Amino acid sequence: MKIDHSVPMEYSTDENKMKILGFWIFLGAEIALFSTLFAVYFTLQGNTNVGPTASDLFHLSPVMIETILLLSSSFTIGLGVHAMRLGLKKPMMTFFGITLVLGAAFLGVEVYEFVTYVGEGATIQTSGFLSALFTLLGTHGLHVTFGLLWGGSILLQIKKRGFTPETTNKSFIFSLYWHFLDVVWIFIFSFVYLKGLM
Amino acid sequence: MKQLFPAQHVMGFLFSLLLSLVALVAVLFDLSFAAGMTILVVTALVQAGLQLFLFMHVKENAESKTLYLNILYALFVGLVTIFGTLFAMRWGYMVK
Repeated sequence: MKIDHSVPMEYSTDENKMKILGFWIFLGAEIALFSTLFAVYFTLQGNTNVGPTASDLFHLSPVMIETILLLSSSFTIGLGVHAMRLGLKKPMMTFFGITLVLGAAFLGVEVYEFVTYVGEGATIQTSGFLSALFTLLGTHGLHVTFGLLWGGSILLQIKKRGFTPETTNKSFIFSLYWHFLDVVWIFIFSFVYLKGLM
Repeated sequence: MKQLFPAQHVMGFLFSLLLSLVALVAVLFDLSFAAGMTILVVTALVQAGLQLFLFMHVKENAESKTLYLNILYALFVGLVTIFGTLFAMRWGYMVK
C-alpha cells in the first residue's frame, strides 16, 4: 500500500481517496432522498384536516435549542478533525465525544417535542400535514441516531488503534456525514419551523 | 490549547449562530411572505455554504471538480423534485 505523506492521513492512500469520493456521491443521493421528503411536506403542509396547523403546533424555544445543539456539534467535530490532523489523539477523542453528547441532547429535545405533539393530539395519523412532518423529522432523527452508533464505534477504534490511514479515513468520512445532517437540519429549521411560524 | 481552536473555525461557528438569529427576523417581525421567505432562503444557503467550504473541506480535495459536479447534480435533482412536485400538485392544478 502506497502512503502519500504530502496530504492529510485520511487521504493518504488511493483507497482512502476513493472512499471519500464515494461518500460524497452517497451524500448526493441523500440530498435526493431529503428532497423527496421536503417535496411531500410542502405539498401537504396545508392539509391539516381537524388537527393543528403548523403555527398552532410549533414553538420557537425547543427549535432554537435543537439548532444551537446541532450547530455546536458541527463545530466540535470540525475541531476534532483539525486535532486529528495535528496528530493529537486525546483532544480529537474529546471533541468527537462532545459531538456525540450534543447529538444525543439534540435527539432528547426532539423526542420531547414529539411526545408533546402527540400529547396535544397531533399524531402521524391525524392529518396529511402531520404525516409528512413526522416522516421528514423522523428520517432526519433516524440519521442522527445512526450517527451516534457509528461515531461511538469509530471512537472505540481510535482508542484501540490510534491514528492509522484506516481510522483517520473513517473519522473524516463520519465528520462529512455529521456536517451533512447539520445542513439538512438548517433547511428543516428554516423551511419547516420558521416558515410555519411566519 | 490555542492551536486546537483555529480562528477560522471559531469565526465560522459564531457566524453560523448569527445566521440562525438573523433567520429569526422572518418570524419575530411582521414581514410580508415574500420578504420573510427571502430572508430564510438567503440565510439557509449561506449557512449550507459555510458548512460545505469551511467544515467539509471541499476545496482541499484533489477531486474537487468532481465533487462540485456531483453536488450540483444532486442539487439539480433535488430542486426539480421539489419544484416539479409543487408545480404538479399545487400551482399547476387549481380547482376552480
